[in-house]
Amino acid sequence: MSFKDFIKSLNNDKVEGELVKTIFVSLATSFVLIGILYLLRLRYIENFIPKYGFYLFFAVLSYSLILLSVKHVRAYKEFPCMSGMMIGMTIGMVSGFLPGFFIASTNGMFWGSFVGMSMGILFGAWNGKCCGIMGVIEGMMAGFMGGLMGGMTAIMMLNDNLKAAGVVVFIVSGFILLGLNYMIYTETREMERKHKDDEFFTIFWSFLLTAITLLFMVFGPRSLLFQ
Amino acid sequence: MAKNIYLLGIFILIAIAGFLLLKGEASKSIDVQGNTLPGEVQKVTLGTKDYNYYPNTIKVEAGKPVSITLDKSVTGCLRSFIIKDLGVSKYARDPSQTIDFTPAKKGTFRFSCSMGMGYGTIIVE
Repeated sequence: MSFKDFIKSLNNDKVEGELVKTIFVSLATSFVLIGILYLLRLRYIENFIPKYGFYLFFAVLSYSLILLSVKHVRAYKEFPCMSGMMIGMTIGMVSGFLPGFFIASTNGMFWGSFVGMSMGILFGAWNGKCCGIMGVIEGMMAGFMGGLMGGMTAIMMLNDNLKAAGVVVFIVSGFILLGLNYMIYTETREMERKHKDDEFFTIFWSFLLTAITLLFMVFGPRSLLFQ
Repeated sequence: MAKNIYLLGIFILIAIAGFLLLKGEASKSIDVQGNTLPGEVQKVTLGTKDYNYYPNTIKVEAGKPVSITLDKSVTGCLRSFIIKDLGVSKYARDPSQTIDFTPAKKGTFRFSCSMGMGYGTIIVE
């Protein structure tokens, strides 16, 4: 079960074979939503693209990767304790850090951390549940920490290379999630798939996360520094 | 085969969305020189603009007292003001608390907040 096998499995008819499609559906949903809202309302907002475009773009890319991992975990439902804790921690941390970072870049540390922590704790606990209470606690803890760290990092980078840092944290998180999916693949070779999410799951969550991020960035409350 | 089609779709989506969403101007760091009020004490007032001190370049005379006021727009860690090379470090809780010092040596020095997030240049002539 090498990494090469994992890459090959992205073409099979099991859950791994649906992962690439999940990214596509998630991105399509998010970009269509942004496109519609842009035509209806957002284009009338001064400097919308220069101000929010970059952060929104990477937030949407992040959600597609997070949802892909969530879907992968949900397909097998139950994991051994160590794997479950790693799943809860990784998903909690990444889904806290990235939204926290991108929202803090436009709304300030408090609101970035608030949204990051909320998302991180929600996804961390939800996915950590696959191994019981330890995974839930691990996920909540990681989500809490990731959200705060994401918000804080963005604010500290404001006068430095904030956008470059955004690209770097996205790439690093992407590789971490890829590693997590590979770990899930290796851990589940002896397991049967227990749950099948249809594309509505991806569409619903992509829509919700993108809408929350967009509304928060553009119309949400801001710290004093951003007013 | 299906994977390749979706991969192509992802690439196209990212390319189009990236082109449309990333075309904004990059932020620029501009040096803005501020006026120092002459007198017995050289008074400088700093505010914030674009998440940094404004003005972010100030000129003062060596050997004469300097009083820096951080106005109400300066918040968070930017209120903790440091000029490392001149040995100046003070947390000014509100605008009534000024940062007072007398620059003994001439030169160009960096000032910043305690976390290095906001920064600027002080030129001592």
